[in-house]
Amino acid sequence: MAGSNEINANEAKKVVPLHTWILISNFKLAYNMLRRPDGTFNRELAEFLDRKVAANTVPVDGVYSFDVVDRATSLLNRIYRCSPPLNESDRQPGAGILELEKPLSTTEIVPVIIFFHGGSFTHSSANSAIYDTFCRRLTGLIGGVVVSVNYRRSPEHRYPCAYEDGWEALKWVHSRSWLLSGEDPKVHVYLAGDSSGGNIAHHVAVRAAESGVEVLGNILLHPLFGGEERKESENQLDGKYFVRVQDRDWYWRAFLPEGEDRDHPACNIFGPRGIPLEGLKFPKSLVVVAGLDLVQDWQLAYVDGLRNAGQEVKLLFLKKATIGFYFLPNNEHFYTLMDEIKSFVSS
Amino acid sequence: MGPHDSSISAAAGSTSSSSSSSACSSSTKPPQPPDQMDHLLAGAGYKVRSNDLHQVAERLHRLETVMVKSNPLEISDLVNDAVHYNPADLASWVDSLLTELNTNPPVPVPTDLSDPHPNMNNMMYATNHAPHLQQVVAQPFEEDVSIQLVHVLMTCAEAVQRGDLSLAGLLIDDLQALLGRVNSGCGIGKVGSFFVDALSRRIVNSPENAAVHSDLSAYENEILYHHYYEACPYLKFAHFTANQAILEAFEGQDCVHVIDFNLMQGLQWPALIQALALRPGGPPLLRLTGIGPPSPDGRDSLREIGLKLAELARSVNVRFAFRGVAASRLDDVKPWMLQVSPKEAIAVNSIMQLHRLLGPNSSRGPPIDLVLDWIRDLNPRILMVVEQESNHNQPEFLDRFTEALYYYSTMFDSLDVCTAQPEKALAELYIQREICNVVCCEGLVRVERHEPLVRWRERLINAGFAPLHLGSNAFKQARMLLTLFSAEGYSVEENEGCLTLGWHSRPLIAASAWQAIPKPSPTMGPIIHP
Repeated sequence: MAGSNEINANEAKKVVPLHTWILISNFKLAYNMLRRPDGTFNRELAEFLDRKVAANTVPVDGVYSFDVVDRATSLLNRIYRCSPPLNESDRQPGAGILELEKPLSTTEIVPVIIFFHGGSFTHSSANSAIYDTFCRRLTGLIGGVVVSVNYRRSPEHRYPCAYEDGWEALKWVHSRSWLLSGEDPKVHVYLAGDSSGGNIAHHVAVRAAESGVEVLGNILLHPLFGGEERKESENQLDGKYFVRVQDRDWYWRAFLPEGEDRDHPACNIFGPRGIPLEGLKFPKSLVVVAGLDLVQDWQLAYVDGLRNAGQEVKLLFLKKATIGFYFLPNNEHFYTLMDEIKSFVSS
Repeated sequence: MGPHDSSISAAAGSTSSSSSSSACSSSTKPPQPPDQMDHLLAGAGYKVRSNDLHQVAERLHRLETVMVKSNPLEISDLVNDAVHYNPADLASWVDSLLTELNTNPPVPVPTDLSDPHPNMNNMMYATNHAPHLQQVVAQPFEEDVSIQLVHVLMTCAEAVQRGDLSLAGLLIDDLQALLGRVNSGCGIGKVGSFFVDALSRRIVNSPENAAVHSDLSAYENEILYHHYYEACPYLKFAHFTANQAILEAFEGQDCVHVIDFNLMQGLQWPALIQALALRPGGPPLLRLTGIGPPSPDGRDSLREIGLKLAELARSVNVRFAFRGVAASRLDDVKPWMLQVSPKEAIAVNSIMQLHRLLGPNSSRGPPIDLVLDWIRDLNPRILMVVEQESNHNQPEFLDRFTEALYYYSTMFDSLDVCTAQPEKALAELYIQREICNVVCCEGLVRVERHEPLVRWRERLINAGFAPLHLGSNAFKQARMLLTLFSAEGYSVEENEGCLTLGWHSRPLIAASAWQAIPKPSPTMGPIIHP
């Protein structure tokens, strides 16, 4: 245990703005209450407490959204698109849906990001307010489309459910005629995710590479990786900035198959049971690491692992950032991140 | 070409209350007035006054200190059994937890008008695990025809709005052709055909012609209603949630009086009667006043229902009295007809009725204001309101049409999972009549004037009502109710003290509870004018 609670709260308060501290502390405490020591999860209360937002075809700040349920899988995807400036003032209701008749563009390349929300495989949904807000910002930033996947969560649905849902979403996106762009034309797909979503993005990218399905890039926002070993960052930062190692352990136990440990290849990518990535046509990666995240050594090891396997990877290390820095646009890390993402999908 | 394999849902006309600002390049923002709701946290779904930010932070800190000192198992049990209210109001949620975990209660953070419903007895329930997702073999699918269908529907509706009926008529032909190419058994094919039908009726008939549009008898309507009740959970959810709230409002009361704005077949009341019978301390004297349309054929259908309910009440030893009030419109009801007594605790129950009062003004003013006013005069302990969660009352026809298209597509999708016949077919007919009313009718005839929760909240607060929050116990029980329906696409959500039931992520029905703020009583006697 790293220091008394008093010190930890004060330290965290020094490095994050007040709003962020309130938001992340609220999640921390609520999540502590929802996890039970026996490994079960209070899903009822979790759904009650989660703030959700409906999709909205009326553009707000130039972005509108709608949900699509794929009957074959019951999977829900929330689609975010930019409203052409012309339509904003001439508020044609339902106009967004009509744009589904045509491809995104026949001349320009329009990026489509498939986004996997975080929540340590257990919390949140595609229609959670924090993620709806984030995806809207992302959509406006890239001037393209974001598809937020409502994957199945643990402990009710363990590995590999989330990865399978991610894979289905990728195939679904590739087969939408209204997501085509460019002169080829094709769907210009990127995978992105924060925390567990980043982990899912990695695994879906691996499967895509193995199956010859194209992914142009991966954006991993403090992705969730781990292993049996305790890294230095885990020891140093345990309990200091909203997260404890024991919390992380709980979520891995809830996600991984029963009886497995954290060296399972889902969790420890380049560990003893990891799958080699040499020679695989793996997409380029942007890996964002928050310097105050106790998982960082695993994320840095992931970056090294990718490099050693000859894969293209860019590391964005944000020294003073804590987890969840991107939920509110009230800090410099947020803007740095946005700039990096924008150039990543434009290059 | 396969069937339409995906469904699209959204709220067409709403401006999201938690809309985000786009990433702006400058980080300077004008300072917010302190009494405002903080907009950063609003984007995360929380309502916190800018004024209160530091206090909320302090409370969170205190809560954490308490939690760290406690046994995690104790905490999760305590938190599980406690009833939580309105988590959007972060300040009061944290406070209620602090109280729950038995610390010295802090000086209360000033909240808005809402007074959280006092914690009721713990409700024990069985842990409900999310049902296993059923895997269906993926079928190849193509959306183009469906999207075309939507496109032409919108174009046709737009022509109707412009008054270009001849173009609209031609488009109807196109639509019929398109319908022939989609699978009319499900999805857009099915609901699309109802909208095409409604549009063509509107083109052919005058929208204000009541005779054309009220073609079913009350009896036939009841049959459709009953099948709608069986085929999908919306009405059951409404009744269930309302009964929960009414039960809580009646705690400790010996004489209670429920006023039901639309008795129909009284499907809601057996459960309440039974719950009251089992109440610790024994049942109260229950009066039920059922309002309904007059029976045309000399039958007193209200009284018939009343007799059946009386028999049930007798069999479980609940003293019960029933009164029927026949009225074609709610604003025809006069308070004296309800014969309330000052000793009684009153519950007013309105399941999908208030929207019918949003039509044109009568000589006495807006019907909704009239009715809300006399409800308030009754001083009920609870006014239960359940309404369709959609805006089908917008002034522009095209806006209404679009909103209805999304709404009813989603509702039809949810019905898809029901396989029981004839329940499903008749339920669809029931919904079809609603669609027709929204699309074909205008003026007094258009009674399906649904408005979303945010509008009802404004209206009710302006009319002198304060929210009573539905808590996590009602939420849990509503979720349990849903497990009786095999489809796991239904979702219950909490929305600032109200509960919604929807299909996947689209809320379709919203339930809210209110209490009347008594009108200020005059301090002087009658003023005598010389």
